[in-house]
Amino acid sequence: MRNNKYTWLIGLLITVVVIIIPVVIAIPGKTPPRDNPRSHLPQVLSHVDHKALMPGPYKTGQEVTQACLSCHPEAADQVMHTAHWTWESDSVYSPDHDRKVTLGKKNAINNFCISIESNWPACTACHAGYGWKDASFDFSKKENVDCLVCHDNTGSYKKSKQGLPAKGVDLAAAAQSVASPTRENCGGCHFDGGGGNAVKHGDLDESLKFPNEELDVHMGRYDFQCVTCHTAQDHKIRGRSSSVSIDKLAVDNQVKCIDCHSEKPHDDQRLNEHVASVACQTCHIPAMSRKEATKVHWDWSTAGQDIPQNPHEYLKIKGSFSYERNHLPEYAWYNGTTKRYLKGDVIDPSVPTAFNPPNGDITDPTAKIWPFKIHRGKQVYDTEYNYFLIPKTVGPGGYWTDFDWDEALTLGQKSSGVPYSGHYGFAPTTFYWTTTHMVAPKEEALRCVDCHSEQGRLDWVALGYDGDPVTHGGRNFNQKISRTNGGVR
Amino acid sequence: MNKLIRSTAGSSGKWITTLVTGLLFLGLSSSLAKTPSLHPLIQLLDEQGRNVIESGQAISTMQTCGSCHDSKYISEHSFHADVGLSAIAAPTSFNKTHSWDRSPGYYGKWDPLDYRVLSAPTDQFQDLDQAAWVQTQGFRHVGGGPAEYNVAGERLTETHSTTWDWQQSGVEEMNCFLCHTPQPNNTARIKALQAGDFKWANTATLLGTDIVSTKGSGYRWNPQAFNADGKLKREFLRIQDPSNSNCGQCHGDVYTAGDALTALGTTGWTTTRTGEIFAPQRINHTGLNVSDKEQLSRAWDIHAERAVKCVDCHPSTNNPIYFQKSAAHNLNHLVFDARRIDVEDFLYRPSHDFAKGERAMNEVQAEFQTNMRRCDGCHDADAVHEHLPYKDAHFDKVSCESCHIPKMHAPAYQQVDWTVLTLGRTAATIYRGAEGDPQDVHTLITGFNPILLPSEQRDGGSALGPYNLISSWYWVYGDDPRPVRIADLEQVYFSGDSYRPEIMKAFDVDQDGQLSATELRIDNAPKATLIRQDLEALGLTKVQIRGEVQAHKISHDVTNGAWAVNTCTECHSKNSRVAAGMELANYIPGGVIPDFIASGRVSPEGKISTTSDGKLVYQLDMADEGLYVFGASSVKWIDWIGILIFLGTLLGVLVHSGYRVYASHHMVAQHHETERIYMYHFYERLWHWIQVATIFTLLFTGFIIHKPEMFGLFSFPYVVQLHNVMGFILFANAFLAVFYHLVSGEIKQYIPQPRGFFDQAIVQAGFYLKGIFRGDEHPFEKTPQKKLNPLQQITYFGLLNFLLPLQIITGLVIWSMQTWPAIAASLGGLPVLGPLHSFVAWLFGSFIVLHMYLTTTGHKPLDGIQAMIYGWDEVEVPKRRRKGKSDSSKKEKQ
Repeated sequence: MRNNKYTWLIGLLITVVVIIIPVVIAIPGKTPPRDNPRSHLPQVLSHVDHKALMPGPYKTGQEVTQACLSCHPEAADQVMHTAHWTWESDSVYSPDHDRKVTLGKKNAINNFCISIESNWPACTACHAGYGWKDASFDFSKKENVDCLVCHDNTGSYKKSKQGLPAKGVDLAAAAQSVASPTRENCGGCHFDGGGGNAVKHGDLDESLKFPNEELDVHMGRYDFQCVTCHTAQDHKIRGRSSSVSIDKLAVDNQVKCIDCHSEKPHDDQRLNEHVASVACQTCHIPAMSRKEATKVHWDWSTAGQDIPQNPHEYLKIKGSFSYERNHLPEYAWYNGTTKRYLKGDVIDPSVPTAFNPPNGDITDPTAKIWPFKIHRGKQVYDTEYNYFLIPKTVGPGGYWTDFDWDEALTLGQKSSGVPYSGHYGFAPTTFYWTTTHMVAPKEEALRCVDCHSEQGRLDWVALGYDGDPVTHGGRNFNQKISRTNGGVR
Repeated sequence: MNKLIRSTAGSSGKWITTLVTGLLFLGLSSSLAKTPSLHPLIQLLDEQGRNVIESGQAISTMQTCGSCHDSKYISEHSFHADVGLSAIAAPTSFNKTHSWDRSPGYYGKWDPLDYRVLSAPTDQFQDLDQAAWVQTQGFRHVGGGPAEYNVAGERLTETHSTTWDWQQSGVEEMNCFLCHTPQPNNTARIKALQAGDFKWANTATLLGTDIVSTKGSGYRWNPQAFNADGKLKREFLRIQDPSNSNCGQCHGDVYTAGDALTALGTTGWTTTRTGEIFAPQRINHTGLNVSDKEQLSRAWDIHAERAVKCVDCHPSTNNPIYFQKSAAHNLNHLVFDARRIDVEDFLYRPSHDFAKGERAMNEVQAEFQTNMRRCDGCHDADAVHEHLPYKDAHFDKVSCESCHIPKMHAPAYQQVDWTVLTLGRTAATIYRGAEGDPQDVHTLITGFNPILLPSEQRDGGSALGPYNLISSWYWVYGDDPRPVRIADLEQVYFSGDSYRPEIMKAFDVDQDGQLSATELRIDNAPKATLIRQDLEALGLTKVQIRGEVQAHKISHDVTNGAWAVNTCTECHSKNSRVAAGMELANYIPGGVIPDFIASGRVSPEGKISTTSDGKLVYQLDMADEGLYVFGASSVKWIDWIGILIFLGTLLGVLVHSGYRVYASHHMVAQHHETERIYMYHFYERLWHWIQVATIFTLLFTGFIIHKPEMFGLFSFPYVVQLHNVMGFILFANAFLAVFYHLVSGEIKQYIPQPRGFFDQAIVQAGFYLKGIFRGDEHPFEKTPQKKLNPLQQITYFGLLNFLLPLQIITGLVIWSMQTWPAIAASLGGLPVLGPLHSFVAWLFGSFIVLHMYLTTTGHKPLDGIQAMIYGWDEVEVPKRRRKGKSDSSKKEKQ
């Protein structure tokens, strides 16, 4: 030891160790973030440039599709198994009807344009296929799958009646541009639901094509595309609409905030306590239709008059409407499933019929308070049979041509199979749309007093509370949910 | 719905929007009030106890509410009603500065911001008598007290006055409606008071409810509002707990969830004094022109945002739900005393003395001062401040508000100058936190940082809290000074609607016929003389200007941790919030330096000084307050002495070494025979180098802590933690070394031998001063048994027995302030320990320079260091030992 010339090295090492170890122990490292939402985002590969692969020219959409299928033979088949093609669900059990039903755009009834049955050519402009003009459409022809509506990246591809490419569309350019769907692709149909910009959804409209971060923090601040959250496997896209969701199974297909965010995402314990009973959307989407006014009311009964028209107030073919900007959601318990009015269900015309009221109430531990846009309407029903009727609106003899309800209903019953007694009237309706897009930056989220005050936006008693839970206790405290029931998730 | 209307209306239609919104809320408030009112239907009774619908008379709240509640008890247990009446006494007994004060309350206490004086009956010049007080000051008084009784406790309608017909005017009883109905018509009430129609003031509060309306000059009760049995129908009047808006009518700018804050209120009492706005709205959503508003997504007040109401923190003091005995009176074995006042009893006799905070300028009912729950009454700060180093030390010296009210985002008074009158017949007022007139929507509101001042705490200690300082100047006159009345000032300044020509001549410097804000100020002797002489011409004597500074506590506009002061260097740096002064005035009226009004619990040590550009600033004297804030505080002379010692050492070393180098070139090399000796054991060397590493790190980190602004790169809390860890390593290392030296007996080396010590020391000193330059042999042999020469011995003796222990102990005590604050306190606290610790650090720095240099004075310059690394030292063999030893030494070398 005495002669060891590396003695200094040993000494140095010991000195360093003696000093570093306590420092490392005593100085706290940075606490890891509670939640790293970005880590959950899909990895998007850059898309192959199809310019050379799709030389064109193409005369029809079908020709493009066939060109696609030459390299992606499985694609059409995949698409043909999705709701974007079938416009209907698998056969599911409806507890309210005590039978199995298939439900989708194909046969559903709503309080906007009512139903596609007998009105195909106009409605199917948004079908991801070509040539659906009547009930006889052949759903098995692969070349009728419309690849471009989702994959065109020129932004110039447009569809017209029966879903055929609009006149003047440069199919070759569109085909060469194909890539992963952008907001414009999805928005081409989904922003215009109900027949026009912002009509149907309060939280989806054309302002989302180029949103700022105040409008939508995901799309505006981080440039999310729709498919960033609505990821797809074999063309089956995650997501689910509250308009056609009677089955429990499909809940799993839902895109959820907690796919990326922690279930206790707030610094504030009190806020995290809310998560058990309040959907994220409730606070984080303080108002819908923040840029474009959305339709909140549609009264068909006033249609047919020759009075001044204005697309946001009155149209002879459709009746009277009202639109609202910055529309405040209405709030209801929702466990992810809805009831559903089906063709032929009997109604009480004296009260509004809810087509798709959300399931869940204060005693349902899986239900949370959700924000909804409730579209209120008044539409034609059979005064004798007491159910809603399906009029033919588009085309010869349709209401929009002749303004004759009797004729339109008589024609409509043939396609829909819902008999018409010859006597009609108008009954009130409501339709629930979840408000789930247009998430605002957290700085704009609701604050305590937005609900917990005299001016608060929640009607606590209507929700089933004894009063404001701040003072009256929450649903657990009041044993509205049995504690043996497993409590709240 | 309301939001929609707001956002769709264009900016041009803002006032319409506000109007529509307001109307909507009038309609909505009842439909949204979700719990039904439990209050029974009531009969409205007049003073005689008759139903007003039959008598047509004014309502008497004492009769009406008194039919179920003990209204006499309520009005007698309410400082809101009393406002000092029961404490009225002769002037000079309350306040040394304001010798004209007659009570500690609103009725009788003079406020230079509000200015009007409640004159003593004996005063020669009367400003306000009781009736005039009710007329002019009743707007923020709830009735009862001085609006109903005289000092002797007689109902005023039973008394006779030569100056006021109380029988005609009636009295204003304590106004229950003002606080217990959703939309009291305070405007109509104030109008009735100003008109001298006191009796009808409470009835006027109900105007707008359809219960009563004005008819000609009188009032008409609406029969439709009453049931057949004479009771008021429920839908006409809702009786409720006071809402924030109720409180806001008198106390400041208060907004609820539904109100949009688009402009500052004009009568926001507290708001004008402190900038406090009690509103849940996010600042970036307000209509105010607040600078950097976009970033301010915090609410004006987090409690308002979180649905905490005024009365939740300021409850009735006998409310059985909120009632809490003070900690001092709690029994050790009880967590909760279940025996409390019955709800029925409470409803019969609810005390209307409400739990109060600490408003430094308001001393009414001193026994109720600070009886409210403070922050810690609801919050467990301990549980959520784990990130805060020295938590307890901070909590002890810094109130919650100091960090959680970091900035006011509304303007507040800075300077109120009553020595002049503006055209609006009021003081020339300058606000802080606004670049201009706060009422003007174009004015940029910059906000301001409150000044932190120490105040006495309920538990006896003293802690910093946020304040606004307001300076004011005013004229006083007389042997027993009184403020000059506004009426007299008006006579001096005005003739008709314009300033008197003499005034214009003296004040209008640029002669443009108008007095700008910079002209309308008494900034030279001629102006002061003119006004004084004119006032004296009115019969006033001994006219002079006085100035004072008031400290107004800021307690609202609290924000949560994310927005609170949460970086160490906001206080621990040169620009410390604690050390920051506050501007008091832009100019100094009459050149009178104002007095700081020490009040109640706030009497800070500080000084008021003028700056080179004529402004007046207040600066807290931290040292006098016993505050020592690392990074911000330093004792200048200690630092200078330290620096001088350090530089002196450095200089000495440079001169000495320079001369050594010079000398070595000019002398014949003398060869000293040397031998290699195993001088330092491994442990000795390890101990030494750990000491080196820790001391260097300690000096460096210590310097950063002392002057953080010079090392912006380093995170303050990490540096503090590093310093602490190093301190402990040093401590442990020193401890082990002492143990080693004791056990091995090596300790002897460090103890100077008394015998012959001085002679030896002189010899050694002589070597360093002379011999070393001549290449002389070292006078004392360095051996493993005796490594230190006499000078080293005395130095190390001092270092190891004095400096190192002192530094370790002061460091430990400072560190222990979190756990055992009493130890530090008993040693004089940080103001003593801090400077001591930094002074010793300077000595250490100097020692290191010297020590490092002296290691080069061995046989060859690097021998010392090499010896400390490898253990082997090259030492000279003393002449006396040289012969015969050389062989053996060579042997050992091999």
